[in-house]
Amino acid sequence: MALLEISQIRKTYATGEVALRGVDISLNGEEVVAVLGLSGSGKSTLLRCINRLVEPDSGTVMLDGVNITKLNKSALRKARRNMGMIFQEFNLVERLTVLENVLSGTLGSSGTLRSIFRAFKPEDVKRGMALCARVGIIDHIRKRADQLSGGQRQRVGIARALMQRPKILLVDEPTSSLDPKIGAEVMDLMSSISKEDGIPMLISVHDVQLAKKYSDRIVGLQNGLKIFDDRTATVDSESLDRIYDMAS
Amino acid sequence: MSDAARVENPLRPGRVILRRYAAYLAATLAVLAMAQQIIVAETDWARMGSAAELLREAAAFLPNLAFMPEVLFPLLETLLMALWGTAMAVALSIPIAYLAAKNISPFYPLAYGFGRGVIVLSRSTHEIIFALLFVSALGLGPLPGILALGCRSVGFMAKTTAEAIENVIPGPIEAIEATGAGPIKVFLFGVVPQVFPIWVGNVIFQLDINLRRASILGLVGAGGIGLMFAEKMQMLEYDKAGSVVLGITAMVIVGEYFSNRIRTRLI
Amino acid sequence: MTSDEMTSGIDTIHQSYLADRRIRRIWKFVILLMTLTFGVWTVDVLNIPIERVLRMFGPLATMVTERLMPPDLYYVMEPLILASILETIEMSVLGVVGGLLIAMPMAWLGAWNVTPNRNFIYPMARAVIVVARAVPTLMWAILLVAIFGFGPFAGTLALLKSTIGFAGKLMAEQVEAIDMERVDAVRATGANEIQVFFYGILPQVKPAWVGISIYSWDSGFRGSTILGFVGAGGMGLYLRAQISVMEYHTAMGLITAVIGLVILSEALSHYLRHKLY
Repeated sequence: MALLEISQIRKTYATGEVALRGVDISLNGEEVVAVLGLSGSGKSTLLRCINRLVEPDSGTVMLDGVNITKLNKSALRKARRNMGMIFQEFNLVERLTVLENVLSGTLGSSGTLRSIFRAFKPEDVKRGMALCARVGIIDHIRKRADQLSGGQRQRVGIARALMQRPKILLVDEPTSSLDPKIGAEVMDLMSSISKEDGIPMLISVHDVQLAKKYSDRIVGLQNGLKIFDDRTATVDSESLDRIYDMAS
Repeated sequence: MSDAARVENPLRPGRVILRRYAAYLAATLAVLAMAQQIIVAETDWARMGSAAELLREAAAFLPNLAFMPEVLFPLLETLLMALWGTAMAVALSIPIAYLAAKNISPFYPLAYGFGRGVIVLSRSTHEIIFALLFVSALGLGPLPGILALGCRSVGFMAKTTAEAIENVIPGPIEAIEATGAGPIKVFLFGVVPQVFPIWVGNVIFQLDINLRRASILGLVGAGGIGLMFAEKMQMLEYDKAGSVVLGITAMVIVGEYFSNRIRTRLI
Repeated sequence: MTSDEMTSGIDTIHQSYLADRRIRRIWKFVILLMTLTFGVWTVDVLNIPIERVLRMFGPLATMVTERLMPPDLYYVMEPLILASILETIEMSVLGVVGGLLIAMPMAWLGAWNVTPNRNFIYPMARAVIVVARAVPTLMWAILLVAIFGFGPFAGTLALLKSTIGFAGKLMAEQVEAIDMERVDAVRATGANEIQVFFYGILPQVKPAWVGISIYSWDSGFRGSTILGFVGAGGMGLYLRAQISVMEYHTAMGLITAVIGLVILSEALSHYLRHKLY
């Protein structure tokens, strides 16, 4: 059975904007799937429907046998621990230190009293430091997050997501706020972590080259609908071109 | 406004200008009429006497420097009242800000309306009025003064805090939610760090303002240096009353200087 | 770097981090302790008996529920009171207009970038503004009453002072933010300082100054409602009288009227500022 099974997800925003018109995706244990589409195609909404940062109107999301869409609030919070999310705008808490940002990945499982005093468990602190070393920001752990460069911030975002010991990584346009060279470094880092730790990733991207280079499979999204779903190796250029029809 | 009118109606420029001058003239006449009524008519000019006499009376208020050391303790008292009043306002403002911040207020618009109502009441009632009410309920002393300061500044604190909460950037909150954190942790890690520096700045600003406010509360018996001023005036020791004013002025200037220094360093 | 080396590196960092955290906790504890001690000391200095604090809620509740409510609004409608409200408004207008006439030149002379003389005029103008802000208005009003006698004249002068402080500071800040090239352009034509002010400075700050003027009136009006407490004219006189004879319902009627008027003045000032900008 697939690790993540999304079926018939629909979402219309309160503004009347239709984001998703019934999308199915399934994702196996160790693959990297790129969701390719233009901005406005619904890919960010799709990722947020998986952990219900955006509440889908209908459809189901099954993660590791758990029906996410049916969970109540506290069960949903528990389920979210299994899904690490990495954001386009990094979404770090700027006034906290790098280490505190990374450790905020444990908030789902740590006690409320500890979180009031920002007193993280020593073993979590140690694991957070090891993750910082792994993503290459160990020298900056005591700096405030707003003192870092874009690439370094995204590394903090990656470490924060890994801190959750996720079963899957949901990655939303990770390189769109970075220049191409730094973006490639970040993608290299994520794909090597995914391979080494066996964590599957669902990455939304709008860049065909990135999708081709880093994914095992590409899902094309257009106007809230899935228009193709192929192994990256076999995906034909015609399909890829179709995505950009609207633009040309 | 009038420039556009001029372009649209090339035949009417004279009238537009005329109307404007007529308005200026009317305003000036109104001000003069007020001056006539409440200054010329209602003042007892005979009592006032000549300019020389007025100057002599004013000179009686020249501060008596020998008295200055005695002003220090009441000044300290005033400062401590300001501290406690600010602390009280800060404590009360947090729940009220929670109710008055549109994006997090529960039972909208009920609690929101209540929060806003408290803010408006607090901000539009002068500290002297609060002080009078508290003195009449609790008797003389610094306690009613502290309560008055608290009530007076809770509105400003709650308003600015609510605004800071309303202007929070949603990205980090989304990220904290995505880790599986509950509402309390999202507030502590997503909202608090963003609001905190603004909040600290406002607390210091309020402390500075409350120092000024605290210095007059004694006039109605609510503690602090105002009491000394009232006593000296009653005993017609004008030079000592002048010293009190000098002391307050110095304290307020020093307070404002430090408040500005700290706040610019925070930003 | 081998993974062993990396692990031992992390260990070192981790140990030093935990040690720092321990020191930080001790510091926090010390500061907390000092704050508490200071708090206790201040209560002692202020001479506030704790049992009085604990027993204050009863009288406060009685005050609000029985003595203050309901406010007697008929009292406010009496001609004497209405006349005093009108007097309050007139005082605020006069005091603020007069204060603005002084605040504007002070703002010009006390703005570092355009002041005609930085060694003498600038510090003098600044001192006027700073002192006007720092002297408490109500005490100033008492001094003025002692010199000029009871009545709105003293109140008007007190408002004059507070307007100089309030508007002077804000207006000077606006002047210091202007575009100096336009000022220099006027100066380059050979204009004297007064002409530079009217042609180079005033046009740039006019909208902001208009806004500040309206705001000053709003603030002055708030202040004017209590000047009567010390005999300096306006409705405050009646408020004080009613409270001193313990006529709380009428006093509360007046307070309600003050709050209503302040909210109205704020709304009016808000409306005018948006309309004129």
